[in-house]
Amino acid sequence: MRLFIEIAMRAFRLQMSYRAAAIAGLLTNFFFGILRAVVLIALYDGREEMLGLSLQAAITYTAITQAVIGYLSAFSWYDVANTVYSGEIGSDLLKPINFYSYWMARDFGRAMAALLTRGLPIMVAYEIFIDISFPNFLLNWGLLILTVLLSWVVSFSWRFIVNLPSFWIPNAFGIGRFFFMAALFFSGFLMPLRFFPDWVVKLAYLTPFPHTVNTVVEIYLGVLSPVEIWLAFAWQVGWIVALILVGQWILKLGLRRLVILGG
Amino acid sequence: MQNSIKLLNKYISVNLRSQLQYRLTFVFEVFGTILLTLTEFAALALVLLKFENIGGWTVGEVAFLYGTINASFGIMDMFFSGFDPRNFGRHVRMGTFDQLLLRPINITLQVLGLEFQFRRIGRIMIGVGILIYSVQTTSILWTGEKAIVLFFAIIGQIAYFGGLFIFGATITFWTIESIEVVNILTYGGSDLIAYPMNIYPELLRKFFTFILPAIFLNYYPALFILGRPDPFNFPPYAHWLSPFAGMLILFFSLRFWRFGITKYQSTGT
Repeated sequence: MRLFIEIAMRAFRLQMSYRAAAIAGLLTNFFFGILRAVVLIALYDGREEMLGLSLQAAITYTAITQAVIGYLSAFSWYDVANTVYSGEIGSDLLKPINFYSYWMARDFGRAMAALLTRGLPIMVAYEIFIDISFPNFLLNWGLLILTVLLSWVVSFSWRFIVNLPSFWIPNAFGIGRFFFMAALFFSGFLMPLRFFPDWVVKLAYLTPFPHTVNTVVEIYLGVLSPVEIWLAFAWQVGWIVALILVGQWILKLGLRRLVILGG
Repeated sequence: MQNSIKLLNKYISVNLRSQLQYRLTFVFEVFGTILLTLTEFAALALVLLKFENIGGWTVGEVAFLYGTINASFGIMDMFFSGFDPRNFGRHVRMGTFDQLLLRPINITLQVLGLEFQFRRIGRIMIGVGILIYSVQTTSILWTGEKAIVLFFAIIGQIAYFGGLFIFGATITFWTIESIEVVNILTYGGSDLIAYPMNIYPELLRKFFTFILPAIFLNYYPALFILGRPDPFNFPPYAHWLSPFAGMLILFFSLRFWRFGITKYQSTGT
């Protein structure tokens, strides 16, 4: 555990040192957020509420999605695959910590830094320029923090799995891209899931993806009943257990056939 | 001139052959590109089932904007990938740009030849596909004039975004790292004009009319071809302005690029 924290701290500091990149990323995320907010405002077309979301909630939704891009590495994350191809994995495997925990720690540090430097400032910028809603009770803040943490674990555990084809094939990025795309759509990142027809929502819930962005959004906006909230947590935990087990199993198979070229 | 064309052909064939080395990877990437644009459009189209229209435009009409810009951005991205700030920044950082400067061939041509990303064919295909879907659902009455307007619109879009790629590449002479903010103009700009311009706040719209003339690239040609009224009362020839807007940006970007090269200082690596 101490090792986990040490590694996470290092990854955190590494991520924090990219200051110019953080500011540039922030501006870009904010611009795209505004664009998406404008699209939703145009879709609402003067209506106060659609499908259980007020206009302000819909705008807040765009803020949340933009805020978690860095935190959940929503567009791409091939850190593990890259070390397989570069051979760096050889020295990582020699480290006195389980390989899976090692990456979890690294990604945790990276995610926390992204949340601080890109997530929070986006919310603040939205609040200053557009006025968004916030959870109104202390309990809701607690639930929000819990689901935000769990959403990262769900996200990490599927992102780790889609890095693993790199043990078998010389270019795993094509496969990875498919999953990141599916995730953008089914996690409710492109549009809130509740705006989609029922069959799409059902399809989405066959995948782990809604339990990242969409769950965070719905708990943040307070549109779930207490029972639904506990159910949402249960789903998150269930997927985490399943994905971590599958990830570790595939990792074991991959490590058995890993060949590292000297150089 | 003849030499340049011959060289360009060489560059293209080398790129094509190297990218087709991994056949399966290539197919995967083309497919991935198609799916990316398709999921983005599908998200909007599915939501429009419940919201009916956006800024007064039906899903078929928005598809016209969406399809056109994606097809031309795909073409642009294929031929200007050498200038893509993300790729070009790497050459400045690693010092490989210095190698190009030493060769006795036009530098702009060489950078153009650095990379042609043929997997962008996927974005072109899905763009054309969405455009065809739009044409079928909106029952546009085609005339020769409308076909020419569409052709000119695409030319303008390619020139405009190609120009912005060159602009972004030039900036990396000073910043070394490619800067993500340029994405606001390129990817942000192409996203922006995929929707009817009347949905935007006045300030944003005016910026993309008078500072960067993006409103003429896609919106005005679409208004004309779809037979929709112009809410902003521009002169009746506004739908012809796309190539001029595009060339203007390309021209100034090339000027800036040449200026940048004279100021270029190698990183020394």
